[in-house]
Amino acid sequence: MDVGQLEREAVAMTPAEISAAGAPGSAAAGYLVLNNIAKTFVARGNSTTALQATNLTVGQGQFVTLVGPSGCGKSTLLNLVAGLIEPTEGTITIGGAPVRGTDRRIGYVTQADNLLPWRTLRDNVAFPLELAGVPVTERRERAEFWMHRVGLSGFGDAYPSELSGGMRQRGNIIRTLIYGPPVILMDEPFGPLDAQTRIVLQDLLLSIWEESRSTVLFVTHDLSEAISLADQVVLMGTKPGRVIRCEDVGIERPRDIFQIHEHPVYRRLYKQIWNDLGAQVKQAVE
Amino acid sequence: MTNARPSIFDPDSALAVGIGRLLLAVTVLLVWQLGAGHLFDIFFFGKPSLIAVSIFNDLRDPGFYRDLGVTGMEFGMGYVIGGFAGIASGVLLARWKYLAKLADPFLLALNCIPRIALAPMLIVWFGIGMSSKVFLSATLVFFIMFFNTLSGIRSVSPALCSVAKIQGATQWQIFTKIMLPSASSWIFTGLKMSLPFALVGVIIGEFMVSSVGLGYRLNAYATAYNTSAALGMIMIMMCLMMLLTWGANALDARLMGWRDDGGDSASAALKA
Repeated sequence: MDVGQLEREAVAMTPAEISAAGAPGSAAAGYLVLNNIAKTFVARGNSTTALQATNLTVGQGQFVTLVGPSGCGKSTLLNLVAGLIEPTEGTITIGGAPVRGTDRRIGYVTQADNLLPWRTLRDNVAFPLELAGVPVTERRERAEFWMHRVGLSGFGDAYPSELSGGMRQRGNIIRTLIYGPPVILMDEPFGPLDAQTRIVLQDLLLSIWEESRSTVLFVTHDLSEAISLADQVVLMGTKPGRVIRCEDVGIERPRDIFQIHEHPVYRRLYKQIWNDLGAQVKQAVE
Repeated sequence: MTNARPSIFDPDSALAVGIGRLLLAVTVLLVWQLGAGHLFDIFFFGKPSLIAVSIFNDLRDPGFYRDLGVTGMEFGMGYVIGGFAGIASGVLLARWKYLAKLADPFLLALNCIPRIALAPMLIVWFGIGMSSKVFLSATLVFFIMFFNTLSGIRSVSPALCSVAKIQGATQWQIFTKIMLPSASSWIFTGLKMSLPFALVGVIIGEFMVSSVGLGYRLNAYATAYNTSAALGMIMIMMCLMMLLTWGANALDARLMGWRDDGGDSASAALKA
């Protein structure tokens, strides 16, 4: 083991992770555990390290946000957890069971809405239930329930091309919620939306999450969004992509997302993380 | 301009367009009718009134309906066989990468044969009956459907497939619920584009050797220098094809209502 590797490991480990990794019963403490994950892509003879020596422990029912500059491996991390790609090194476990390939325990809300353009909103929302062979009347009822929950009642017969960006993104989110996966991955789901729509959907997402308390891994560029939503903010760095540190957000729930910017804890965390994030963003651009 | 003063000279108004089209058609027919015998030789160019009479005569002739039936049957069979084989091969090669790589240069070569050049050989192989016409028509339809289906399935968004996979879709479900519906607009475009080609195949086949069919009838009129009757037959074929195309467009609009890009996929298919 060379000195460089020791250094990198020292950077990658935060106090929370060291305690989690050090404890033999760490699986009990963490529901979703990434153990020393690395991912290297090889294309045309060049290998690129997208993610290096990454450890992350997420407790059951925790809302964790990943924030970092472009190229820090956030999306790679989500794709690894989703089982779409395999890690070059390390293991990922959910509730103690390793992730092998895609899995209905994990839901994935992508940045683009990816609704099926030839299906109506109702049939898009009910699609995962259709795949599982749920009878048509039951899946219709459940789709109606969720569409009503996010203010899309009456749009069941509309095709995605007839809906606004915010409506499509709501459809995208509820079609994951409808089959209740215990782990939900979200890749900048509000990225393409305007500021007002974004804050309304953040509020809606939190109120739904308060009810289900699924484990959420939420990627964002936006530090404000990261702090507002999360129990824990994970700051990621670039070249190579890695976890720099984790911050617990001790703000009580339920939160008022419209007022949270006034909260002293929010302000303190924002300032703290912003300095590191700023350094990472500059480094990423260079 | 559109709301300043609505007049029939507004180029966007449907009425202005309709009147313009009617005027154009009437003018062409009038010039043709009145100029026949003076400006144009009736022997070569016919005359609208004579064409109308010969169409009327054809439509009263029971033999015309027998010819129509035979051509219709050949057309239908060629279209269905070529279409089915084209879609099936497209699906097969889209799913089976190795086979696609293997077959690629050969298919390209086959597609480069001017299909009409096959007509004499088809008569040698399949005889002078209906099957040679059906086959010629089917080869024309086949390649359009094959390439459109292949491109359609290959252009399926990988993200849509990944999302379905995460939601627990099996390979078969991804194929039937994502790939095929996604390719359906390409396949539909192909089915619309193939319609006139299927008829071309049949008519050429009937020109070569036949004793029945609309192509035979047209050929018989033309070789007898009955220009008006021949032009009448051409117009009947034109009207039949317009009816079919209109029907296909109506069906397309009904089934593909979700598509927001209108005819974009048609131009994409042509480029492929």
